[in-house]
Amino acid sequence: MKLVVAGVNHRTAPVELREKLAYRPDEIPAALIELQAQGAKEAIILSTCNRVELTATAEDLSDDMLLAALGAGRAGVILEELRPHLYRLENNAAIRHLFRVAASLDSMIVGEPQILGQLKQAYSLAREHGSVGPMLDTVLTRAFSVAKRIRSETDIGRNAVSVSYAAVELAREIFGSLHKRRVLIVGAGKMSEGAARHLMNAGAEIFVTNRTPERAAEMAQLFRGKTMRYEVFPQRLAELDVVITSSAAPEQVLTRETVRRALEARKHQPIFLIDIAVPRNIDPAVQDLEHAFLYDIDDLKRLADRNLEARRGVAQEAETIVAEEVERLEAKLREREVGPVIVSLQEQLEGIRQDVLIRHRARLGSLTEEQHSAVEALTRAIVNKIAHAPISEMRREAAEKSGGEAPREAEVASVVRRMFRLRER
Amino acid sequence: MSVLWLRTAAALYGCGLLYALIYLFRKSTRLFRPALIAFGAGTIFHLVSIAELWAETGHLPLNNFYETSSVCAFLIALLFLLAYTRYQISVFGVCIFPLVFFMTMIGATEFPVAKWSPEFRNTWLVIHIATVLIGFAALIFSAMASVYYLLQERQLKRKDVTPSANRLPPLGTLDTIITQSMNAGFVFITIGTITGVIWAFIESGTGWIGNPKIAFFLFTWAVYLAMIFLRVSAGWRGRRIAWLAVTVLGCSVITWATHATLGSFWQR
Repeated sequence: MKLVVAGVNHRTAPVELREKLAYRPDEIPAALIELQAQGAKEAIILSTCNRVELTATAEDLSDDMLLAALGAGRAGVILEELRPHLYRLENNAAIRHLFRVAASLDSMIVGEPQILGQLKQAYSLAREHGSVGPMLDTVLTRAFSVAKRIRSETDIGRNAVSVSYAAVELAREIFGSLHKRRVLIVGAGKMSEGAARHLMNAGAEIFVTNRTPERAAEMAQLFRGKTMRYEVFPQRLAELDVVITSSAAPEQVLTRETVRRALEARKHQPIFLIDIAVPRNIDPAVQDLEHAFLYDIDDLKRLADRNLEARRGVAQEAETIVAEEVERLEAKLREREVGPVIVSLQEQLEGIRQDVLIRHRARLGSLTEEQHSAVEALTRAIVNKIAHAPISEMRREAAEKSGGEAPREAEVASVVRRMFRLRER
Repeated sequence: MSVLWLRTAAALYGCGLLYALIYLFRKSTRLFRPALIAFGAGTIFHLVSIAELWAETGHLPLNNFYETSSVCAFLIALLFLLAYTRYQISVFGVCIFPLVFFMTMIGATEFPVAKWSPEFRNTWLVIHIATVLIGFAALIFSAMASVYYLLQERQLKRKDVTPSANRLPPLGTLDTIITQSMNAGFVFITIGTITGVIWAFIESGTGWIGNPKIAFFLFTWAVYLAMIFLRVSAGWRGRRIAWLAVTVLGCSVITWATHATLGSFWQR
């Protein structure tokens, strides 16, 4: 029995191909049936915008079978075109891959948190469908807890890597909770919208202002916010905790003096100013004011880059954990292979011992308590001596890393099974 | 008789002090009016006391430190009331109420009273020390948070927010911690100061005022009061309040050091 992971992801295939292959949730049951028809005993399908991946256990699954399953019923997919983008991993490598995917180490943005949820969803879909057996169950549950372990033991998901999110992180450094904090967006723009959305999700109140009032109203609706008149917003600065400017105004919309007065009016509660406009909207001299924190686009970019770098370092740490966990699971799975054989061997021999003892008991005549226990000990010792060699041989094989070749413990286990005529358990 | 009026006045001023302490936590001026009335009544008793003493001696009672302290407190109270009727600024109360209370209380200790029983005396001492220590603890806590505030503020200003696990707490959180522990510390140290002054007064009679330990304790308390007032009225925060917190902590350490020989106070 093999564990196989195969599919395409953001590294191996362009988005045009990935989007053709992506499954809608309601298409997955049919695809699972197709995989099982190709010979898979167990199967899970993970389909996100960055990857389409089949995980299955089977006696044998050739690339052709996998391609057939991936391409089945997909319009405009030519199997031969698909072939060069396909990757395929088996056994240990497959386990390692699943762990890395779950921990978001294989993601386009390393550490992004959605992938774990997507994998869990794929797992429960397959479970409902009945295509999850003991093997996939063990591996996937393990993958989830590995992901959790990595998240709690490393800083993988900790630092913001996008500019708009870096702005939100900074706001948190200043204010702590962003609940009910008042945020003003001056002008429009992709980045300020991104930041506004993050801030809204964190519970902040959004205000929007724009030279064109209609634009402001439009955007305010997007964030369930309010509008503010463009002409008066500098006067109302004292009410605001965060201001994001990205207006196309050629002149500065906030001067040092305006901010100084606002700070005084708000009793020196900190104010966070984010200037993502080019040319800049806020006088850089504002930065000298105590309790005013001014960041421009370059500052945010630098922070995001630095976080990305830190995250790469953290990924190294996470890889170590993955390696450790793969090894642990491997050992467990190998033991699972030989464990039952050991038990049935022991049971078989014990059965023989007791049979023989009962059959020949009469010939021994009456025994004292002491003699009786001596006979017991003697027969047991013989049986244990016989069992010792095959058991320790199996254990040794299970404990040894196979190093990429076919695992030998299964082979040894089956030999022992045949030689002692053990029943399948 | 005049000392009795003075003590009544001190008790009424005490209501003002109570208001000031509550205000630190509640930030509501709902209790200001009753406190102001009590304070005004206190001022009237204070006036009666001074007038009586004046009538007795035939001149303004400025014979010693107690009397000057009392008269000065009276003048401050009067000025405050006048300013309030004209400008309606209630936030000064946070500073003036405790100050007037303390100066009047000092004035009211001109004449020694009967000694107390040893058990009562020791219990009183325990209360005094306990409240002061709790106050110190809160103060140390707030000074520590202030240092973190300074570090975090500097990082944010330098745009040097480190992407590491041991990030500093957010400025807002630190600010709340500083405010709350500073306020709590002030309440306890104020109670500690009152109990301490009363203790010293009963213990060593009118001679207590010459004790440098107590003088320094009062000085520490006054700096603390100033800090609280600046924070409440002028909205001092961040760097300035952090340095003040550290200063008050320094004063407190010296106060503590002067009390190092406290063991000798315990009786029997």
